[in-house]
Amino acid sequence: MSLTETVPQARRRDLRIPLAVVLIVVALGAPYMGSRYVTHSLIIALIFMLPAHGLNLLVGYTGLLSLAQAAFFGIGAYTAGLLAVTYGTPFYVNLIAAALVSGAAALPLGIPALRLRSTSFVMCTLGFVIIGQAIAKNWVSVTRGDMGLSSIPKPYFELGPLSFTVSGTTNFYYLALAVGVLATLAVWAIVRSPAGRNMVAIRENETLAESLGVPTWHYKLIVFMISAMFAGVGGCLYAHYLTVVSPLTFQMYYSTTMLIIVLGGGAGMISGTVFGSLLFVGLTEALRVAPEVRMIAYGACLLVLVFWFKQGFAPLINRFWNAIGGVK
Amino acid sequence: MLSTVLEQVVNGIVTGSVYAIVAVGMTMIFGVLRAINFAHGEYYMLGTFGAWFAIDYLGLSYEASIVVGVLATIVVAYVVGQLVMRRMVGAPAESGVLATLGIALILQNTVIFVFGGGYKFFSGGYIEPISIFGFSLAQQRILILVVCLVVFVGLELMVTYSRLGMAMRAVSQNVECCEVVGIDVPQVVLRTFILGAALAALSGVLTAPVNVSVYGGMGELITFKTLPIIIMGGLGNVRGTFFAAMILGIAESLVATYVGLQFRDTVGFATLILVLMWRPHGLFSTQARF
Repeated sequence: MSLTETVPQARRRDLRIPLAVVLIVVALGAPYMGSRYVTHSLIIALIFMLPAHGLNLLVGYTGLLSLAQAAFFGIGAYTAGLLAVTYGTPFYVNLIAAALVSGAAALPLGIPALRLRSTSFVMCTLGFVIIGQAIAKNWVSVTRGDMGLSSIPKPYFELGPLSFTVSGTTNFYYLALAVGVLATLAVWAIVRSPAGRNMVAIRENETLAESLGVPTWHYKLIVFMISAMFAGVGGCLYAHYLTVVSPLTFQMYYSTTMLIIVLGGGAGMISGTVFGSLLFVGLTEALRVAPEVRMIAYGACLLVLVFWFKQGFAPLINRFWNAIGGVK
Repeated sequence: MLSTVLEQVVNGIVTGSVYAIVAVGMTMIFGVLRAINFAHGEYYMLGTFGAWFAIDYLGLSYEASIVVGVLATIVVAYVVGQLVMRRMVGAPAESGVLATLGIALILQNTVIFVFGGGYKFFSGGYIEPISIFGFSLAQQRILILVVCLVVFVGLELMVTYSRLGMAMRAVSQNVECCEVVGIDVPQVVLRTFILGAALAALSGVLTAPVNVSVYGGMGELITFKTLPIIIMGGLGNVRGTFFAAMILGIAESLVATYVGLQFRDTVGFATLILVLMWRPHGLFSTQARF
């Protein structure tokens, strides 16, 4: 072989676009491919993906470990449930109201909480879940106490003279998918904007970010509120899908589930959260793992993630994505 | 009227003693590890379950069941300490939170998985009431008070004079210097952790006859009550923890009587948030320890 000759490189095709097409087809056709139980599992995964997206903005991009997501999830669920039961409002009204109420609730909670750092912040956010549950239990005139809200109507849309109701698992799947896709795009837009870069700067070094003129306090507060809005939207879907909301919507278990999704999928990565919710919620739901076993597995996952597998599945996803794209 | 208030205060002190024994372990663990042990209440639950198992399945007496409960917890704590807690030395605060949350999930749900999630009846203990100064108080409650005092005097002596106590104080002040002078930091952490877990188990076994029911989720509630206490007491402050536990115990029992039983369990977290806002270093410490 002479020196002028180059080694013929194995041509690697960029398979990313075909893969994306396959994923879109699978996402759209899922209800017709699997059983009803699979569709149900996917809906649960999509519902939990929303608060997880919010948490990813907090944990993955801004570097604030929060356990309060379940509280805002519960507030969103109660807001949507109460509106639908009491006034029979259309779905999009409930959705927006749930997002706004959760986001608004995050303001007075975030102002004191964000003054705390590391462990104290975690404990304070944990407190919100406990106090939220107590309020849901005891403010009987509004929340109906331990009985919770039941028979929440199916989501319906009203556009001028047209109106239709989303009934059945398959239709609800498409609704959840649409909300999930919009939310994912919203996160993408936030992360790609200059604001997203400032968030990462705060995560990496808050003092340095502050000294470079990033208003860190406002950023943290606004991200806390945005993450609460995502949780509220998730709560709205949850209320409409399960048609029941009880004070147990405010529980530590949900916060832990959302943390597992974000950290397991890979914090600070949008595809990680999507992947994490499908893997940890969808798969365990589809396998019909008993709740205790699932929580034992979650606990084990947390330990593994903390000590051995710090970045979750993010490196694997990245490597896979580069490999099919022909990038070495 | 006055006697009801007094009775509630006495009840509160007993509850406070229970919390104090659990919380002091958590605060000592924070001292050496700079991490909050979110699984601490689970050792309380394990101790209670161990004792319940000893009485119901092995037919042992209550006294023997105390030993079984505490020993079983020590074994579990040793395993957890070796596998997890030692790794947390020098790790960032977030990983401590996540790891201990993971342990809490594993311990709690393993117990529920093995023994079922329902409430169980705890049949041991000295529940005969005796009257002192016109109050009638169950013997068990007096036992709790006495044990609490003994534990705190013992800890105070241990922390001040014993080798382990001095090593613990040294580690809580400066980990690097400890390594320089040859203190085996992971070993100190492991021992402190096992001591804390054993105290939590002891507290659980002592309270079981008063609470009567035993269930898998009971540890979580205790963890949630212990967090405000250790913050109020000042993290790593043994004496402060004692007084903070008494304050919370009395406050809870007064709120349960005069405001409503359903608000009892929120008192702790409401106090926690208030204390974090105004005195983040605790009510009794003069300066922040972290």
